[in-house]
Amino acid sequence: MKLNIEGLLVYFPYDYIYPEQYSYMLELKRTLDAKGHGVLEMPSGTGKTISLLSLIVAYQKAYPLEVTKLVYCSRTVPEIEKVVEELRKLMDYYAKQTGVKNDFLALALSSRKNLCIHPEVSSLRFGKEVDGKCHSLTASYIRAQHQSNPSQPVCQFFEEFDAVGRQVPIPPGIYNLDDLKDFGRRKGWCPYFLARYAILHANIVVYSYHYLLDPKIADLVSKELAKKSVVVFDEAHNIDNVCIDSMSVNITRRTLDRCQTNVETLQNTISRIKETDAAKLREEYRRLVEGLKEANVARETDIYLSNPVLPDEILQEAVPGSIRTAEHFVGFIKRFLEYLKARLRIHHVVQESAPQFLKDIYEKVCIDRKPLRFCAERLRSLLRTLEIADIADFSAITLISHFATLVSTYSKGFTIIIEPFEDRTPTIANPVLHFSCMDPSIAIKPVFGRFQSVIITSGTLSPLDIYPRILDFHPVTMASFTMTLARTCLCPLIVGRGNDQVAMTSKFETREDFAVIRNYGNLLLEMSAIVPDGIVAFFTSYIYMENIVASWYEQGILENIQRNKLIFIETQDAAETSMALEKYQEACENGRGAILLSVARGKVSEGIDFVHHFGRAVIMFGVPYVYTQSRILKARLEYLRDQFQIRENDFLTFDAMRHAAQCVGRAIRGKTDYGLMIFADKRYARADKRGKLPRWIQEHLTDGSLNLTIDETVQLAKHFLRQMAQPFRREDQLGLSLLTLEQLQSEDMLQKIAQIAQQA
Amino acid sequence: MASLSEEVLLVVKRVRQRKQDGTLYLMAERIAWGPEGKDRFTVSHLYADIRCQKISPDGKAKIQLQLVLHTGESTTFHFTNESTALKDRETTKDLLQQLLPKFKKKANKELEEKNRMLQEDPVLFQLYKDLVVSQVISAEEFWTNRLSLSSPDHSLSINNNTNNKQEVGISAAFLADIRPQTDGCNGLRYNLTTDIIESIFRTYPTVKQKYAENVPHNMTEKEFWTRFFQSHYFHRDRISTGLQDIFSECAKQDEKGLKSMVTQGVKNPMVDLLSLEDKTLDEGYGTATVPTPSNSSNKSLRENSNCAIIKRFNHHSAMVLAAGLRKPEAPSDQVSETSSTDGNSRDSDLFQPPIKKVKLQEAIEYDDLQGDSGRKTISLNLKKSDRYSHGPVPLQSQQYTTSQDMINSISIIQQEMRSYKPRLTQVMSSSAASSAIISLSPGGVLMQGGGQQTINQLVPTDVQSELKHLYMAAGELLRHFWSCFPVSTPFLEEKVIKMKSNLEKFQVTKLRPFQEKIQRQYLSSNLTGHLEEMLQAAYSKFQAWQTRRMMRKT
Repeated sequence: MKLNIEGLLVYFPYDYIYPEQYSYMLELKRTLDAKGHGVLEMPSGTGKTISLLSLIVAYQKAYPLEVTKLVYCSRTVPEIEKVVEELRKLMDYYAKQTGVKNDFLALALSSRKNLCIHPEVSSLRFGKEVDGKCHSLTASYIRAQHQSNPSQPVCQFFEEFDAVGRQVPIPPGIYNLDDLKDFGRRKGWCPYFLARYAILHANIVVYSYHYLLDPKIADLVSKELAKKSVVVFDEAHNIDNVCIDSMSVNITRRTLDRCQTNVETLQNTISRIKETDAAKLREEYRRLVEGLKEANVARETDIYLSNPVLPDEILQEAVPGSIRTAEHFVGFIKRFLEYLKARLRIHHVVQESAPQFLKDIYEKVCIDRKPLRFCAERLRSLLRTLEIADIADFSAITLISHFATLVSTYSKGFTIIIEPFEDRTPTIANPVLHFSCMDPSIAIKPVFGRFQSVIITSGTLSPLDIYPRILDFHPVTMASFTMTLARTCLCPLIVGRGNDQVAMTSKFETREDFAVIRNYGNLLLEMSAIVPDGIVAFFTSYIYMENIVASWYEQGILENIQRNKLIFIETQDAAETSMALEKYQEACENGRGAILLSVARGKVSEGIDFVHHFGRAVIMFGVPYVYTQSRILKARLEYLRDQFQIRENDFLTFDAMRHAAQCVGRAIRGKTDYGLMIFADKRYARADKRGKLPRWIQEHLTDGSLNLTIDETVQLAKHFLRQMAQPFRREDQLGLSLLTLEQLQSEDMLQKIAQIAQQA
Repeated sequence: MASLSEEVLLVVKRVRQRKQDGTLYLMAERIAWGPEGKDRFTVSHLYADIRCQKISPDGKAKIQLQLVLHTGESTTFHFTNESTALKDRETTKDLLQQLLPKFKKKANKELEEKNRMLQEDPVLFQLYKDLVVSQVISAEEFWTNRLSLSSPDHSLSINNNTNNKQEVGISAAFLADIRPQTDGCNGLRYNLTTDIIESIFRTYPTVKQKYAENVPHNMTEKEFWTRFFQSHYFHRDRISTGLQDIFSECAKQDEKGLKSMVTQGVKNPMVDLLSLEDKTLDEGYGTATVPTPSNSSNKSLRENSNCAIIKRFNHHSAMVLAAGLRKPEAPSDQVSETSSTDGNSRDSDLFQPPIKKVKLQEAIEYDDLQGDSGRKTISLNLKKSDRYSHGPVPLQSQQYTTSQDMINSISIIQQEMRSYKPRLTQVMSSSAASSAIISLSPGGVLMQGGGQQTINQLVPTDVQSELKHLYMAAGELLRHFWSCFPVSTPFLEEKVIKMKSNLEKFQVTKLRPFQEKIQRQYLSSNLTGHLEEMLQAAYSKFQAWQTRRMMRKT
């Protein structure tokens, strides 16, 4: 249907529309108009992606000069592919309606592992191997060697692409990962480099968060993206952790040992080159004197996305003299390495700030702050000069150099924690230096700064106001949308007590309590008897799940559950879990029914949807608080309190609730779907917890379902399931939660729609 | 009697029954007992009649074995040979254990099948009542033809699916059902039934293999299961103590199977957690604590056993699922055969889009937003589309019309119909038309013989239905009768004579009373004329056959 969103003609590729989709598009349009950032929460399964795509594509078509590019970031590879498929649907609809051939170029970008078509390289299993092998075939000096020595293997796909691929633009169309591979095979071009090149002039790019947020990758891939782009972070409820992860560094003794060998290799290579090709080193020296001007110019003229590891200030200066020659630099690194080794030789925990660390290093080994800051850049230059083929081998020294640059650049937002052993195993020495980022805004700042509009959206972003605070930006719109429902297809229940009236909670003091574990078991057992098909149960942590499973096994609860359903359990091994997942789905498909025991914050809870019969009930055992004893977390909480005035408890609860909501939200994917959401912990009933659930779940949480016993839960669940099992037709929804174009245009409907969005 | 030709599997002397000494015989199809000094059996049970056997617990003074029949009766044998009583009992028990399931299944299956047929087919049920219950023919005779009809020669048709019966899946909790019971004196007792054993075998083929290897030459069955329950394999969470555990190999093989399943990976890319992340953080980055390799080795015992439990549950569930899905071998062969001969089904597979595409499309589908046009239909997957559109065609017929021909001709007809214009000048005269209609109406010239229909009005309904039943019964008997010709074997000879007498019996016990009844009601006796004719035809055929046989004999 064709929609009129405040004067913008939007093609929407369906015959019907959900009211909240319309409302969502309105908010989105306002954000784009204001050229600002937005935070939008809309329940999963209400067609968020297609609404986003429809509106932004329409906007791009209407104002091609205002918005030149859409950069859509999602979390997982299947998500990325799903987005591209939805886009394809939209574009097909455009072509059908307007009769004009599609002139948009949209493509997905992923790592080499998913795009490589080289027969040998692509057969490798792990991403890192693929990257390394690819690099060894495509590095510039390897190709130069190939010129003189044809027996040196190169990748013919890359050669072909390099020869002609850049001149001929890739024809407009929608390219998913497989389409890119097909295209590459047809042309004989490397799809990965083709895609990386093509994103610069593509209208729509779909890729993963890391390409924008991880400075190491963003610098390679995304730094030349146009300023007038709209950036969308979908499933963004975890974006702060992604930011923090990309800026944090852990250094173990093993890292240092490997770094040591790296340094030795460098030293040998340098001395060898000095004998054979001294000119090369001199050339590098000259370049370093001139400084990083080139990059500086580019950034000033707004061509490049800035890189937090490569701060603006250092670009204006030349690399300091003390590390300019290759030998000096290697010596410098050696000194730094020795210092780190000494620091790891401790017997008690040390926590210090970056300035303290710098002061200490200056006092102990006379390393200045300035050369440290240039470490990363200097190493890059050296590796290039020395023509090191396998960058993967040098990951340790690269890590150290990044650490050096970061620690000397940021005096705030980071902390250094050196732990001599793990908390659980105090007898085994395993010193680790955590250089931990506490401020997610550092990594995402360049993105907010550079791009015109950044949209942060997800099914669970409540409470909305916390994201702008921790990411440090000022959104122009913040809205949470509810799900209009013709029948209440979600049934959140808070179970607080067992039938024996013992409180059910995963609170630390009582979590090992026999009665609690037994009650949890009884809850699962009872549910397994009444819920059809699939049940997914989430535990707060892996260790807790292991313990509970073991004691359920001893008490014979699992055996009784097995009478009703098959049991599958997430393990720490991803391959094993994948298999369990597939079998779980198989068991749901063939009618046997199954239970999946899983972990909140685990891979399953983050990436797998349990649509329809794959998840008729989700049980959240306990409140998934993060492990609060960790020093890194404590440091971060302190930082949040001091810098953003967020109280520790507020943040912890917020974090726990977003994960809980994420887990239970996995079961509902659309209005024809239905599912029970069982929160098995009495603490959920408290206002501070309940209030942090997304609005679309809170709405259906009545006072009567706050502190139930298992029996009551079973009664309510039975009632709910029986109701849901009735046939549900389009007519039931029409006019309420599903609209035709005429219905949408009616006056009172528009008024109703205005209430769907709740501005925060 | 027939026992002479029976194969005797086991003879056990000195077995008491009802305080009488005697000998127990286990034969191919029955178990029998005869008192000492006499050459006839006072007790004889077919294996098919035995529901189960029970034995007295070890340690009891009397060593007994009890047979419980389906009827509820039971017979107890007391083994009295002092030195070998226990051994005798064990051998008897073991043999019975092997024999009983075979017969049990057979008997049950047949009974079930018969029952089902009778329930599904009211006509057959009536026939059964008419012929068997009123003892015109015996039940066996009634079924001989029926069952053979439904099983082998028809197996290609509809009855096919009744033939390869649906496999029953395995309960996930079958191991839970063998909860050990303490028997009071510091021991555990496990109750195993054949069902559970089968479940174990189907779920864990390695155990079955072990069983085949070891039982009975290395150990007895009982010993095998005792070891099984004691083994580390059964209690996977306990740390193994016995080194001589025959099941350790099973555990290893299971591990291997699990590994291969894992390395095979998953077919559905949407659940493949390995390829979920696009770009994992490089080593050393991130806040999550890195699981160091040294970590796993110093895990506590308890953690290890917890891990093992989790692994075991995953494996067990997968195996149960797989056992339920495992298809019987034969039909799959058949399918592959047919598909290879016609080649039609092959290319249909080619049209199926790869699983990834399908899953992606499924994932982005919003069926309520879509208009009705997008309703999904299941496409008909035909092996031989020709056969579907015009049924099986005798192969020898030369003018074989292909479906293309038919489609062509239909389209030609359609075209003709479209351009069809009634030529009003050449139609029939109205008088000719009306006479044609009259002669086609009931009672008209062309509709003669329709007078039979008046039987509806003439005869009351109860008589009608009775007549119907008579027809059916007679038809059934005649079918039996005629199926004996040509009489080529002595068996058929015997049968044809029996059938003839059956027919006569039918005429006397069923037809005559009916005729008298309708005479009493002053209905035309013509009603049974046709029945009589049919019987007469059969008699004359029999007569002719008999005279011919006499002649040949003389």
